[in-house]
Amino acid sequence: MPQLKRTGSFCRRVRREFLWQSGAGFGAVALTSLLEKDGFFGNCSAAETAPATANPLAPKPPHFAPKAKSIIFLFMYGGPSHIDTFDYKPGMVGMDGKTTQVKTFGRGGHRNQGRIVEPRWKFKQYGECGKWVSELFPHLAGCVDDIAFLQSMTADSPIHGSAMLMMNSGRILSGSPALGSWVNYGLGTVNENLPGFVVMLDPTGGPISGAKNWSSGFMPAIYQGNVLKSQGSPLLDLQPPAQTGRAVQREILDTLRTMNQRHLADRADHHDLAARIASYELAYKMQEHAPESVDLTQEDAATLELYGVNQPKTQDFGRRCLLARRLVERGVRCVQLYSGGAHNDDNWDAHGDLEINHNKHAGATDQPIAALLKDLKRRGMLDSTLVVWGGEFGRQPTAEYQQGSGRDHNSYGFTMWMAGGGIQGGLTIGATDELGSAAVERPLHVKNLHATILQQLGLDPNRLAYFHGGLNQKLVGVEHIDPIREII
Amino acid sequence: MKLKFPMRQNPERLRTKYRAGRLVTWLSTGVLMLCVEPFLLVGAFGAGKVDFSKDIQPILARRCFACHGPDKHESNLRFDNRDSVIASAESGARAIVPKESSTSELIRRVSSEDDSIRMPPEGKALTEAEVSLLRRWIDEGAEFSAHWSFQPIRKPLPPVIDEDAWTRHPIDAFVLKQLRDQGLSPAEPARAEVLIRRAYLDVIGLPPSPETARELAASWSDATYERLIDQLLADPALGERWARNWLDVVRFAETNSFERDGGKPNAWKYRDYVIASFTSDKGYDEFIREQLAGDELDQVTPETLTATGFYRLGIWDDEPADPLQARFDEYDDIVSTAGQSFLALTFNCARCHDHKIDPITQKDYYSLVSFFRDVTSYASRSDQRENNQLSVSPKHLTENFERLTDQTKSITRELRRREQNAIAKMPAPDQRATEGPQRKRVLKEKLRQFMEDDDWTKYTSLQAELETAQAELRQLPPIEFVLGLAKCDPIPPTTHVLLRGNPHNPGPDVGPAFPTILGGGSPRVQPPADNARSAGRRRALADWIASPDNWLASRVIVNRIWQYYFGRGLVRSANNFGLMGDSPTHPEILDYLAQELVAHDWSLKAVHRAILLSSTYRMSSSSSADYQAKDPDNRLLSHQTVRRLSAEQLRDSILAVTGELNEQQFGESIYPTLSAEVLASQSRPGSGWGQSSPAEQARRSVYIHVKRSLPVPMLAAFDFPETDISCEARFLTTQPAQALGMLNSAWMQQQSQALANRVRREVGDRLESQARRMLELVQVRLPHAQDIADLLSLTSRLKEQHKLDDVSTSTAMALVALNLNEFAYID
Repeated sequence: MPQLKRTGSFCRRVRREFLWQSGAGFGAVALTSLLEKDGFFGNCSAAETAPATANPLAPKPPHFAPKAKSIIFLFMYGGPSHIDTFDYKPGMVGMDGKTTQVKTFGRGGHRNQGRIVEPRWKFKQYGECGKWVSELFPHLAGCVDDIAFLQSMTADSPIHGSAMLMMNSGRILSGSPALGSWVNYGLGTVNENLPGFVVMLDPTGGPISGAKNWSSGFMPAIYQGNVLKSQGSPLLDLQPPAQTGRAVQREILDTLRTMNQRHLADRADHHDLAARIASYELAYKMQEHAPESVDLTQEDAATLELYGVNQPKTQDFGRRCLLARRLVERGVRCVQLYSGGAHNDDNWDAHGDLEINHNKHAGATDQPIAALLKDLKRRGMLDSTLVVWGGEFGRQPTAEYQQGSGRDHNSYGFTMWMAGGGIQGGLTIGATDELGSAAVERPLHVKNLHATILQQLGLDPNRLAYFHGGLNQKLVGVEHIDPIREII
Repeated sequence: MKLKFPMRQNPERLRTKYRAGRLVTWLSTGVLMLCVEPFLLVGAFGAGKVDFSKDIQPILARRCFACHGPDKHESNLRFDNRDSVIASAESGARAIVPKESSTSELIRRVSSEDDSIRMPPEGKALTEAEVSLLRRWIDEGAEFSAHWSFQPIRKPLPPVIDEDAWTRHPIDAFVLKQLRDQGLSPAEPARAEVLIRRAYLDVIGLPPSPETARELAASWSDATYERLIDQLLADPALGERWARNWLDVVRFAETNSFERDGGKPNAWKYRDYVIASFTSDKGYDEFIREQLAGDELDQVTPETLTATGFYRLGIWDDEPADPLQARFDEYDDIVSTAGQSFLALTFNCARCHDHKIDPITQKDYYSLVSFFRDVTSYASRSDQRENNQLSVSPKHLTENFERLTDQTKSITRELRRREQNAIAKMPAPDQRATEGPQRKRVLKEKLRQFMEDDDWTKYTSLQAELETAQAELRQLPPIEFVLGLAKCDPIPPTTHVLLRGNPHNPGPDVGPAFPTILGGGSPRVQPPADNARSAGRRRALADWIASPDNWLASRVIVNRIWQYYFGRGLVRSANNFGLMGDSPTHPEILDYLAQELVAHDWSLKAVHRAILLSSTYRMSSSSSADYQAKDPDNRLLSHQTVRRLSAEQLRDSILAVTGELNEQQFGESIYPTLSAEVLASQSRPGSGWGQSSPAEQARRSVYIHVKRSLPVPMLAAFDFPETDISCEARFLTTQPAQALGMLNSAWMQQQSQALANRVRREVGDRLESQARRMLELVQVRLPHAQDIADLLSLTSRLKEQHKLDDVSTSTAMALVALNLNEFAYID
């Protein structure tokens, strides 16, 4: 039966049946069947009766043939200025300092006029498509024929807190699952040794609202984002304390398993007890596999160089981009990388000096992102990996303060881009007005972006639903939302 | 500062309150209820007349209403209305021909194999069982009746069952009847040691000591058990266990979410209020009134004002993009939470249009909003306390405090205005810096040069004034604040139906009115007096909900209590008694207990006691393959359920077993130490997370600070709920992150060391004695020789092959003990 037809029913009823099935908790049965694959329960009678269908993380067939298997979301936290990066505004040249009538809405509230800050970087045309790119991105400019630029993005809020939530979960209020949670809920995981939704943060800190940005909201925590460190032990509490070590831990686990198995013997029908035994073995396996996935010594020198891992400026983001590729290679569904963290100029939030800010962040990310696209392409992975770039909003054409080049937030129009995963490259969709203050041609909403992402992953954005609070909740909301058809 | 809630009734009286008169009630209802129709289990289990409300309506609601229901009636057909479905359609066909399933179009369509004909067009086809139910129902006449929860509470007569030595309480008779009807019988009673541990963990959330359990088991009898239950019900630790369950429902958290995730001062006092209310067995009706209208009651006390913290627990955006929208999001939070918490109805689904499934209109929704319309916004960005911090100190103190606070506020405003004027002249990077923690530095270095002389003089004199006022303020005796409805709007603006839920698109006016489906009608609200501080509408709503005549309030709460004793409610969807929710497995028990609750002055402990003393609760959790096949979900309750401990039960049990538990009750929240890597997820690592002493950190989990953007890993891994919305039941996941935390976290390392130290203190250095003692502590029974042998064999391997010293070896044993399944589950 095609998955398409099952969705509605799945979301309405089966979720609760997961919860209560055979008195076993959600996910309990699940793990038993995950471990079955490894023959772990070969000698355990409990697993034989475990229904394999109820595994919430088992790979699930998509609604229709997917273009992409994974997504890498490069989150430019703080909001990069579109008119200084990819949205070329030749008409603004020579207008610096002029006061103009333009409606803006940002952190500083609604304004009707402002002092123009001319784009601070020169633009050039690149690729066969002739895309104009500013000199902030010399490396990425070489990849424009693989990229579809969305130059008419809009969002519901120009304020970081709610705008971040919107970009990550589709709503300006907290409490809903993140995109990565939806993807894992819809497709399951193909590698139980790694979390299906991985978040890598900037060394300066998390984004505002922290874990709210990768929360699984009203879905079980099994779908939430897991913060993965790019250096040291990658996951929280992954390794035993130094004085214990893995050999001792194995002894502890063996004893624990023996005792738990004996306890299980006369409770053979209790799958959740069996699942808990299994979860310890899975944890042990993760100790082995998770560090391997972040071990860059397995990469050759040319690759490290490509990503800029050996240059101070690009070292951190390069490392994380390379890890993103390695994680996707290992079946992780959704990887989110934050460029920028914390506050002020630690991220793209250029309220003060635009040039210092954007030179810094573009400088740290340009080469790594280009490397990621090239590396994915040469390995034949770009077709199945959807790469998304953008912040929670863009920036205004006018100055925020009486002096200086800082720009306030702008959710009326900004640029994001997508590449790989079946996205047609070399395209530019939509346009903002001559100042870049608002989308005027083919306005796109964050929901359209989300719909496109789900669509490429083989999930129908208007059907992928989860019953909660009396409603079939969807990432794209209650109204029908179209993916961006021109680019797929 | 400490707020104590006096126990308003002495414990002895309380005990009699929930113990008295039970038998009389059963008998009298029995006599009264001779004419009640018996509840029959049909559907999946065969025999009996089909019950429309339980078996048919859910199918129609879930599979048909989306296109042919209360909201949309495609092809002029609506399956919530009998006249509509038996009428001839344009095509001439009749969806339902009563008594003739074979000519009913509905049956033809739902059973068709042709995709172009089959209904519903989306989703799975109806199952054969569903189609067969529809057939039988049509053949029986296709009668409609109201949904079970939209009917008054019935007074079910406990069935009389032959050869019944099992029934102790009417609960049991209802359970036994259904089991017998299906040829099943109840499981054996659980062994004493199992039941003792189960009751401890269920009632107070902590395991018994092995000594207590042994002593009880030695003189095991019904009387011993009853004594144990009464003792547990009187234990103040009950409040700590059960408060947490309520906190899930009311989306309790101590911060606001969003960019700053700022703190909600004194939110912990609401938590303490709930603990004290449950411990003292406050009537549930009073508990409802205090939370919804604690500021409007005949007797307003610090306690009832604290209860209004209910309104202030939700998320709050201090910088909304659309302030009007945000305002109505706040009302929606209140309507959703109150509707789901007290009435188990999802009114929130009718915010933008009439409810698609339940008979709840958009007008009903906005009529509810109208009740809450005097509730002010949580705060404003410039004043984060005024609306939500209520003084409960004596009036004269409060007045002085307010006068001085107003003064400092207005001076501060004026100082800031002058600062901003100067800042506007500074270079952009400096301006930007003044928006963060660097502000003070920038002002100190540069303010003077950007201010005119006159301005500067005025500025410095204002600064002096401010210092004086602040000094005076510091001299005042401390004022006690609680989180709650500090400010209301006694004459609220008119409430409109908002078209498509859009606050910028108001439709017709509405006033406060009760939901039509629950009887409707408008409340009698006195026009507010000139000096009124609130509109008086919430009181009317609270009185209506907390009335013995309300069909839902009592059912909803007894169902929640049941849920925590059996792992699921009689109605699984505890927040949704509507058509999309689940039907009750035992509707008679639900109604029976609901009446018992009201008959016992809304004493929740009376309900706890009834359940705990029932044979149903006391059953063993073991079941057979045969039973598993017949009733895989244990809907019929042929046995108890093996249940994993909640995050809090698990953490608290560990502390109890290691001997570290600090039983101090109430007070400000505690902060477990979080690792740097967890704090690194914050934009300001460590911000908003305090430090608590080791002793404080060893307090019960209900006291852990709930910060929306910073989940505590140990609790989160074990399914601590999402705090932004009401949580009816937690997920129970099993995943490797739990195992990793339980093996490797710093906290578990400390706890296993503590357990090793404890047993060494208690039984000395001999490893065998240590193993025995550890097992006894975690298993609460005599340890099996084989388990001891396993631990000892571990120790010898660790010592011989891994060269571990005695202390590390004991610690490893302790880690095993704390990770045992037997410890993590209630049997």
